Amino acid sequence: MRAYAEGLVLIVISLVALWGAWQVPGATPGDTWAGIVPFSASLALLLLSGVMILGASQQTATGEDKTDHAATFEFIGLFLIALIYQQSFRWFGYLLPTAIVAPIVLYMFGVRSWIGLALSVVICPLVFHVIFFELLGVFPPFGEVFDLLDWIKG
Amino acid sequence: MEIFPAMLSVITDPTLLFAIVLAAAVGMIVGATPGLTASAAIAMLLPITFYMPPLFALAFLYVIGKSGRYGGSIAAILFNTPGTAASAATQIDGYPLARAGKAGKAMKVATISSVIGDLMGDILLVVGVGFIAAIALKLGPPETFAIYFAAFVVIGSVIGNSITKGLASAIMGILIAMIGLDPISSEERYTFGSFDLSNGIGLVPLMIGVFVLGEVFAQMESRRKATGDVEENESEGDGNALTWEEYKPCLPHALRGGFIGAGIGVLPGLGSAIAAFISYGEGKRRATNPEKWGKGALEGVAAPESANNAVSGPSMAPLLTLGIPGSTIGAILLGVFLIHGIQVGPTLFLTDKELVYKLFACGMLGIVAYGFIGYFGATQVAKLILKIPTNVLYPLIFLTAFVASYSARGSMFDVTVMTVAGFGGWLMRKYDFNIAAFVISFVLAKGAEETFRQSLLMSDGGALIFVERPVALGFLLLGVVAIAFRVRGMMKERKLAQGGLGDA
Repeated sequence: MRAYAEGLVLIVISLVALWGAWQVPGATPGDTWAGIVPFSASLALLLLSGVMILGASQQTATGEDKTDHAATFEFIGLFLIALIYQQSFRWFGYLLPTAIVAPIVLYMFGVRSWIGLALSVVICPLVFHVIFFELLGVFPPFGEVFDLLDWIKG
Repeated sequence: MEIFPAMLSVITDPTLLFAIVLAAAVGMIVGATPGLTASAAIAMLLPITFYMPPLFALAFLYVIGKSGRYGGSIAAILFNTPGTAASAATQIDGYPLARAGKAGKAMKVATISSVIGDLMGDILLVVGVGFIAAIALKLGPPETFAIYFAAFVVIGSVIGNSITKGLASAIMGILIAMIGLDPISSEERYTFGSFDLSNGIGLVPLMIGVFVLGEVFAQMESRRKATGDVEENESEGDGNALTWEEYKPCLPHALRGGFIGAGIGVLPGLGSAIAAFISYGEGKRRATNPEKWGKGALEGVAAPESANNAVSGPSMAPLLTLGIPGSTIGAILLGVFLIHGIQVGPTLFLTDKELVYKLFACGMLGIVAYGFIGYFGATQVAKLILKIPTNVLYPLIFLTAFVASYSARGSMFDVTVMTVAGFGGWLMRKYDFNIAAFVISFVLAKGAEETFRQSLLMSDGGALIFVERPVALGFLLLGVVAIAFRVRGMMKERKLAQGGLGDA
């Protein structure tokens, strides 16, 4: 079942890639078509997906895969935090999102010391800010809605 | 003999020497920490090296890669958990030695053999790389494309358990690299009207996402399956000391392993794990005491460790002469070259010869550095690793991944790419797709496309140009033969497994 699903997902990816390659305008005289490599690669991927489906049809069932649903939910939670965290840089700059996300992620990985979690609210954004935005001189992302760094600097 | 002035120049630069020693220590710790890899560390540190001079940046990351390979043996011997895939062969004899109270002895054999293998690989690289570059200069676009093609096929089909998944991973890497403006005609490809996508997908965020964030996601999931604390095996009595009489029988295995590793290292994609297992198998076949192998033979540590590290130097040969990275670390180093505006390929030896030889010199000094640290302090490093709380380490790596991917270009789009790549990396790990093939193909795709289209223009659109030129045809056939051999090997394994079941 899993092999079928993998093959089907690859077929969908290759069809999207084929369609995308087909959108590339044709070549001007004396030049090569810009879509030739994406088109060929997508076609090769489609072929491989077919091979995977064929292989899956010849496999005998070996029982159901045991999935740890709790672990999957934890992963999904962490991925959602990652998505929100990267988006919140645009809204609130670097410091505030990091101060909120650091203790949450530490808690998810099993840190239960309240003092440690409280310290991470200050230490994590401070240390990363000093290393990357002060020592390395990278310009920090500016928060469009509210920027803690801007507020601290007055 | 350009290596001697280069070595002198590096030795007289205290800042560079400090960076080499620091990189040796960092690489060892990273390699020895189960779950962390040298590739992840290098990807994470990549944005920091933007602010360093090119030689400093390259030497720092190159030595981390070398030392990381060796560091894997510490975890394999002491904790029965290979820090890297390559050190799984070292574990076979290393862990029984540690259980017998000879952990210190095993560590010293691993260190000496790693140094011997790595130095052999580097010396062969220094001697042979100029020769390969001279040949590479004579290759035209059809030959270069055929080499790219062979690299794609070999990397996709040889690494990993499934040929189809390996090749699919390689193709997905190529497709992701196609996003953005076509470098020849400036036509948009796969941009779907997005301005951000028209700039293409950056190497740094992709690497950080796949290797670093993907690993954090995987660790989050596997945390529940952990079976408890790791126990360190202490040395007892004379278990720490190693005499010449004890190492003497290991020396032939280390030297043979060095040649095996160096030979495999030149071929893109095969990697140190394959070299280590071939060397172990060959060592056992030729050993005077094969019955002791697997139960705690010092020679069983020397053979794979030497081969595993000997891969490091020669794997730089295809990268520097043809621009084809043979490993994930090579792919990241290629990114560092490009970021610093250095064009990798046969002309590198005409434009930046001094830099290349200085890099080799740094690599050799890095070997000496990790050799010293490992010989005298491997057990201390192991104790330090046991004290690192992984529940703090992985959240910190998670946070670093975001700020590091932002720092590369100061782009929020890169952070989004990194997050998505992290999810993709987790999916690929979970469903046994081939991350190494994906990343290496991503890096190779642009060069392959360029040479492919140049070849078509040369032949006025005919694909027969690849068949008419013997060198190009040879490399195309090499790709086909690689797949055929792999299929044959897998069918043999399947038959053996079925036979074994039948007998049961």
